[in-house]
Amino acid sequence: MAKHARRATAESPIARIALIGVALVFLFLFLLLPLLAVFAEALRNGLQPFLEAIVEPDAWSAIRLTLIVAAISVPLNIVFGIAAAWAITKFDFPGKGILITLIDLPFSVSPVVAGLIYVLMFGASGWFGPWLQEHDIEIVFAVPGIVLASVFVTFPFVARELIPLMAEQGRDDEEAALSLGASGWQTFWHVTLPNIRWGLLYGVLLCNARAMGEFGAVSVVSGHIRGETNTMPLHVEILYNEYNFVAAFAVASLLAMLALVTLVLKSILEWRFDYHRTGTGH
Amino acid sequence: MGITLSGISKKFDAFTALGNIDLEVRPGEFLALLGPSGSGKTTLLRIIAGLEFADSGTVAFDGQDVSHLPVADRQVGFVFQQYALFKHMTVADNVAFGLNVKKRRDRPSRQEIQARVAELLDLVQLGALGGRYPAQLSGGQRQRVALARALAVGPRILLLDEPFGALDAKVRKDLRRWLRELHDRMGLTSIFVTHDQEEALELADRVVVMDHGRIEQIAEPHDVYAQPASAFVYDFVGESNRLPVTIAGGAVRFGDRELQVGSDGLADGPATLFFRPHEAVIVPDGPALPAIVSLARPKHGVTRIEAQVDGLPHPLEIDVAGANPPKVGDSIAVAPTRSRLFPHPMAD
Repeated sequence: MAKHARRATAESPIARIALIGVALVFLFLFLLLPLLAVFAEALRNGLQPFLEAIVEPDAWSAIRLTLIVAAISVPLNIVFGIAAAWAITKFDFPGKGILITLIDLPFSVSPVVAGLIYVLMFGASGWFGPWLQEHDIEIVFAVPGIVLASVFVTFPFVARELIPLMAEQGRDDEEAALSLGASGWQTFWHVTLPNIRWGLLYGVLLCNARAMGEFGAVSVVSGHIRGETNTMPLHVEILYNEYNFVAAFAVASLLAMLALVTLVLKSILEWRFDYHRTGTGH
Repeated sequence: MGITLSGISKKFDAFTALGNIDLEVRPGEFLALLGPSGSGKTTLLRIIAGLEFADSGTVAFDGQDVSHLPVADRQVGFVFQQYALFKHMTVADNVAFGLNVKKRRDRPSRQEIQARVAELLDLVQLGALGGRYPAQLSGGQRQRVALARALAVGPRILLLDEPFGALDAKVRKDLRRWLRELHDRMGLTSIFVTHDQEEALELADRVVVMDHGRIEQIAEPHDVYAQPASAFVYDFVGESNRLPVTIAGGAVRFGDRELQVGSDGLADGPATLFFRPHEAVIVPDGPALPAIVSLARPKHGVTRIEAQVDGLPHPLEIDVAGANPPKVGDSIAVAPTRSRLFPHPMAD
């Protein structure tokens, strides 16, 4: 066959150029331009106001809270995600289908509803509200509520990434390890975890991006107390509503930076992950 | 180490994988579990290993009940069909795994482990490849790594699930012979699962033929072929021709034609007559099956003929020796020289 023979699925050159053109214009208009606009707005008055907006105490507090929320919810997610994926792929038990559906729930439910669930449960007039008040425990309109809401909305990321991967890998490696005398923990640590490490990292990355960027659910439970219960996305909204555009866009540009870093890391991981899975690694 | 299975049953939901299996494996024996897929042979192997647990019945090693011991405590070496090598570990680390995970007080020193790994890699003729990763090995090499890894912990019993299934024909033949030698040298009791009758007959001391979760026959390879215990075994082990016949007053009839074969002492009624391709001759005429040759091709020094018989869905397969075999289109008469009758016509 000739080297440049056209494949049956190949379009004519004009159609190809048109399709690629449409895709590129679309990407530029809807993705790249807004991203550039964020940075342009943030730096409109130069670097000085930009930096000032970021080190301003309320903004700094929002950044810190966002990092704390991510630092708590991501590790929890890793544990839940691995446990759920492990249970679903390595064991047969009644209720497996329900568990899989439940894992997907945060994807199908609006984040606002997710936030309201926690207000309903832990708010002052919620189910556990009076009891919590008696014991002086604050959940809603405080950091614990924000963490809970973040954990809820990010729950599927690690599990969803690991379930197909672990299902594909089957149980043979684990059974081999057990037959060689390894304990359950040794099997997990030396066999399962290395097998899933790239998929796990990928899930963690997406989970982290969402935990830091979540708006809806967190907005409901946060109470918007400046310098206390505002995460970065919430702080951006407040600044924007106050017509403080430079500061709003400065904080927003940090979130955009996070997105860009996430994308780069994601590409690297995807490349590494494929490399590993095709068995040509090392 | 002898293995005694008594009354082993296993169900997966409504599917009966094993129904009341009794089996005695002699110490030092090389045993084949032979059967089609779904016959329960792999499930039985996994129950012996402790990777699966029977719903009822017991597994005993040298008389000691191990039914409830997990795989880690049974001291069995298990070689998986796809080898299940740890991809992220070198060959040497794979082999050392079983030693490295031992509790500290039982664990050999680092030097001892290295020496043991080197010894095992030599044993499986992979001495120079300890630093490679599984992805860099051929199928046959991976299989030998899996074996070395299983042997590292000093098992008394070696269990192999379709050990040659994923290899090409040439490698398979070499590995077979090599595995048999290894088994004899190490004095293991070995059980392997296979769906390949040739493999089972060539390699094993005894063959256990299984179908639908039951043992059809336990016998030495020659007897499995020469004295099949059931129609299933006859059909599964070796090539065969099947003929629906009726027995009446000691005579065996195919349609209205009487055949010159013994009735094997079967009662009157429908039965199935089996004969192998090389256990029939072409005769000029007489009490034989009239047939038309539909295919003739050389095979292992004889000519394999396919002959259509009226009223049979499949052509008969006959091996004909000699320089002048019949040609396609010839009318011939086929007479079995040796055959077996089994009652109950088999469903096709």
